[in-house]
Amino acid sequence: MHIVFYKTNDVFAAEEKLQENGITTKIVPTPVQDKAYCGVCINVRESDLEVVKSSIDGMDYIII
Amino acid sequence: MIYFDNAATSRPKPEVVYKAFDYYIREIGTSPGRGSYSLAIQASRMLYQSRKTVAGFFGSVDPSCVVFTKNSTEAINLYFDGLLKQGDHVLISPYEHNAVLRPLQTLKNKGVIDYSVLPEEVLYCNKDRINDYVQGNTKLLVLTLASNLTGQIVFQRELSHMAHQMGLTVFVDASQGAGKKLINMQDDEIDVLAFTGHKDLLGLPGVGGLVSKKQLGITPLIQGGTGIHGESYVNPNAYPDSYESGTLNMPAIWALKQALEYIDENIEQIREKESFLIDYAIEALKRLDNVVLYHPDHIRVSTFCFNIKGVSSSDVVQTLDEQGICVRGGIHCAIKAHETLGTVATGAVRASLNCFNTRQEIDEFMRVIEGIRPCT
Repeated sequence: MHIVFYKTNDVFAAEEKLQENGITTKIVPTPVQDKAYCGVCINVRESDLEVVKSSIDGMDYIII
Repeated sequence: MIYFDNAATSRPKPEVVYKAFDYYIREIGTSPGRGSYSLAIQASRMLYQSRKTVAGFFGSVDPSCVVFTKNSTEAINLYFDGLLKQGDHVLISPYEHNAVLRPLQTLKNKGVIDYSVLPEEVLYCNKDRINDYVQGNTKLLVLTLASNLTGQIVFQRELSHMAHQMGLTVFVDASQGAGKKLINMQDDEIDVLAFTGHKDLLGLPGVGGLVSKKQLGITPLIQGGTGIHGESYVNPNAYPDSYESGTLNMPAIWALKQALEYIDENIEQIREKESFLIDYAIEALKRLDNVVLYHPDHIRVSTFCFNIKGVSSSDVVQTLDEQGICVRGGIHCAIKAHETLGTVATGAVRASLNCFNTRQEIDEFMRVIEGIRPCT
């Protein structure tokens, strides 16, 4: 599962928040699906979805 | 060699700054936002970490509110050009550097804005009189944190509070004094601040920035590659990325992060040492009958300026240089400050110390100064 952000700064702000909440993350190239987003995104386990959502509540992102 | 020109650029740097630059350029060496392989991702992560450190240092809570530029001059131009519109009016202090004055004067010459210079009296005595200078179209109050000429503290918290009550935005040029941690954007009601890395912050040349309490809806100064949204024909609406077109000076940004952490860890020692040195120097200069010292009793950073009676400032600089002492003469890119002091015709000699200087260096400086006399 990929968490895709509009701005590069948000990717690393989110990475920090997710890791603080115990989520295992990996920064990876954004799948070529929507060119209107940042070049890298965060890969997380689907089972972590709810914690992910609460951790980055208020940030501008999409999940693909 | 005795280096007393830290207001121009600080020298030397803390050892961690040299090491951080070396580490970045050797071990990372890639540009943030310019690739999705591991090493480029690490560069982007380090950029984020650097933004976070800068934001925390100045009291802004949001790392995305830090825009990196190549220096404070670029940051000031970015803000003024992006913010000010036809018919706006700006208030400035009489101690602003040309980095503030010239962008404003250029906008004035184009017929876009007008500006007024607050007299010293408003800064230090009758602050309420700022009301007399605020017009219906006044948008911005601009104050330098400290004069690059005299070292005196110019920013006044009460003025920023009063400006806010009148609906103005408060902008601070923190090029001088930022490393003393004298201000906090939240506590001191500063909306936007420009900094440079290589002076008081003990970093390297080539990095500065604009810090704000919230993301700014201003026009970017330059257009170009941002590393994101490459499909757009113009910079996308993305803060701060769209205000940093072109490759960032990431080695200097990473070194700045280490410099700020060094300052945070050593701020008490830095303040104590510089306070001792500046008091020692000023008291010694006051005792010399051949010296005219400007504004010696103001609260200040570790910079002072003076002239020697009957001797041009350029001759004083040359004599000191011949004795291995580095100071700066002339106008110091601060024509408004010299107008205020009445030293436009003569210039002045500026000495600027920092925490790496010593009392012995000041003693040697005084020995040379005492011996400089007009030719008879």
